[in-house]
Amino acid sequence: MHRWIMALFVTLWLAGCSEPPWQTKDISGLMPPLAFELVDENGKDVNADQFLGKSTLLFFSFTHCPDVCPTTLARLDAATQRMDEAARDDIQVLFVSVDPRRDDAETLREYTDAFGPQFIGLTGDKAALDELTRRYRVTYGYGEEDSEGNYDVSHSSAVFAFNDQGEARLLIRDSDPMEAVVADLERLASGA
Amino acid sequence: MSLTPHASLPRLAKRWCWAFLLLIATPGTVAAAELEVNEARLRLLPGDLPAAGYFTLTNTSEKGVTLTGADSPAFGNVTMHRTVNQDGITSMQPVAQLELAAGEQIEFAPGGYHLMLMKRTRPLVVSDDIEVNLHFAGEQRQRVTFRAVAPTAQ
Repeated sequence: MHRWIMALFVTLWLAGCSEPPWQTKDISGLMPPLAFELVDENGKDVNADQFLGKSTLLFFSFTHCPDVCPTTLARLDAATQRMDEAARDDIQVLFVSVDPRRDDAETLREYTDAFGPQFIGLTGDKAALDELTRRYRVTYGYGEEDSEGNYDVSHSSAVFAFNDQGEARLLIRDSDPMEAVVADLERLASGA
Repeated sequence: MSLTPHASLPRLAKRWCWAFLLLIATPGTVAAAELEVNEARLRLLPGDLPAAGYFTLTNTSEKGVTLTGADSPAFGNVTMHRTVNQDGITSMQPVAQLELAAGEQIEFAPGGYHLMLMKRTRPLVVSDDIEVNLHFAGEQRQRVTFRAVAPTAQ
């Protein structure tokens, strides 16, 4: 009899009393809260505290990146387009350029505007970028320059998601199915 | 009213014949008959930031072909690249050439093979048709029209 009651309790607990698991990679407690001191796309010094109050997606990238960076941003745009308006307004995407040499404020502003109002461009000097990338255990580096001064920038392609308090919640990859990304972003926007 | 054929007709037929011979002798035309390009699109970024070219290429011939590069009158520089992801770190690798066996299909798609098009020679906007020439080994060329799409296009 006791065993049956126990089984019933466990079933109820699994069914309704607990939060469903995240569908992208849960990094709660594994990564430190959002913190940085960078320069925004208007050339102003900013820190992470100024971005609290909304759910934040943090993404390391660069504008001279024809393929993978716009692909990730386009996916985030598509995901937020599928959310209802209130939830969408709660999401901001911080595009952190790890290529400050080419990505000045104007280039960043023009670039993020092309993707939508929820995208905000940030960058910083080497020390600030090193501190931030080390904090989230990712790396970046510069490829060899060609004869015309073009070079590739290697970077982490994953997107870090934080709740409105700046607590680390998720790591979203390009390989995650769109439905999973939408479901997790909706839950994040609802205050999870 | 006479039923005699017009005197210039044989000359006209001869001219057509020459035109036809010229047509089948042109290498580009041979390539066009044996290679199929679909979904050719070019994702524009603001300013003069490099654009990405995507398409599906099918070798419908009975022998292998080698894609060696591309050029476009709308860009000063066009190169082939592949995005690679190693331990969560993404980078781009130049691609010198790509071999397609008979019947093989290859996709240039986001996150993989792509054309990188730099240095615009004229302003470009979304929904423009942009001419790109694909180069193949043996001096073959194939002209393809790419449709310019928005940065948020997937």
